[in-house]
Amino acid sequence: MNARVRGATEATATVNDVNDIDDVVRRAQRGDVGAFESLYRAHSPAIFALCRRMVGSDGEALDLVQDIFVRAWERLTTFRGQSSLATWLHRLGVNVVLEQLRSSKRDALRLIEGDDTTFGSRSPGGQVEARIDLDAALVQLPSGARTVFVLHDIEGYSHDEIAQMTGIAPGTARAQLWRARRTLMRLLDL
Amino acid sequence: MIDAQSHLTEEERQAVADRSLPAEHLPLIEAHLRDCAVCAGDVARIRTLMTHVTEAPTPTTITPSLDELWPAIRTRIETSKVVPLSPNAIRLDGRRRARRVGSSIALAAALVIAAVALGLRARAHGSTSTAQVADTASLIAVADSAHAYEEEAQTLLNQLELRRSMLRPEAVVAIDHDLRVVDSAIAELKEAIAHDPTNPALRRLLASSYRQKVDVLKRVGNAS
Repeated sequence: MNARVRGATEATATVNDVNDIDDVVRRAQRGDVGAFESLYRAHSPAIFALCRRMVGSDGEALDLVQDIFVRAWERLTTFRGQSSLATWLHRLGVNVVLEQLRSSKRDALRLIEGDDTTFGSRSPGGQVEARIDLDAALVQLPSGARTVFVLHDIEGYSHDEIAQMTGIAPGTARAQLWRARRTLMRLLDL
Repeated sequence: MIDAQSHLTEEERQAVADRSLPAEHLPLIEAHLRDCAVCAGDVARIRTLMTHVTEAPTPTTITPSLDELWPAIRTRIETSKVVPLSPNAIRLDGRRRARRVGSSIALAAALVIAAVALGLRARAHGSTSTAQVADTASLIAVADSAHAYEEEAQTLLNQLELRRSMLRPEAVVAIDHDLRVVDSAIAELKEAIAHDPTNPALRRLLASSYRQKVDVLKRVGNAS
């Protein structure tokens, strides 16, 4: 089960415990800030996890969560319920994060060209740390590789979808993914 | 032909590990994996990583910070409720209006809240304060444009009723939903204007709401 599906299931269950999700979404769509706050509280942990994994920093991830939920508020009336709200929010979140990454010249270059120089980066002591936490390992990946890895292996997007979203060629996305996996295997001592 | 000496390529190892290998290549690759411990071991390690990723818990340690984030989000939302209207907004050409329809419904929802906020503020300060800043000529112009859009919307609505039976049921549901949102905004604005008839901001919001209704109806006309 990828993160999009898992996040949707968990968040839906959480809101269902409190209220009927359709009613909460409808109230939020009509401008009820309190209802939107309920949605924020139900979905923000999954959106934060997505952002943190994609950008590798708590501070940046928190800023992005803010941007994503403001954008969600602005576009909530376009949500038609064909997918779950969690899936819709996830997709919106990925787009906001990618916009942010593209807006940074450094990261944009990494997305397009890849960045081999920091692959397999080691701890300050020069030794690959054994069995470190996945999220800590993700932080050590270059931005482009991390983005592709998170989108493909965690979020479940296809290479074609990733290529469309990021503007890189599908072949480049594959190469980034393979390198990211190899680096993570070393960092996680697998 | 892959044999035990030549080993699988990186692409083949990765693809077989994440099960994206084309089905026609699978028998050959699986045969190689049965004979080659190096490739089989490597594929198993890639799969271990993927399992590790799938089973990794979602980080939740930051939850208190997420709670602290809400007031800032709320402030940004509240600020965005009062939508500044461009003086040229009502002179947009047809194509630009059509492109803006997607966002117009969201704007309509914001207009309802803006209307209420403006109405409440006007009532709190008394209507004389808004009367002082109201430009009579501008008021008349805005009211006229609202009236013109209202008439255009009614004409389009009549055309929609004639075509309704030819539209797909899901399209009818979507159109009715959009129209309800805009009509709700219009009703709220009319009520607010009844309490504060000289408030130019409310008049502009009403004109904008009618324009959005026209946009929705024109979209239907173009699609059918």
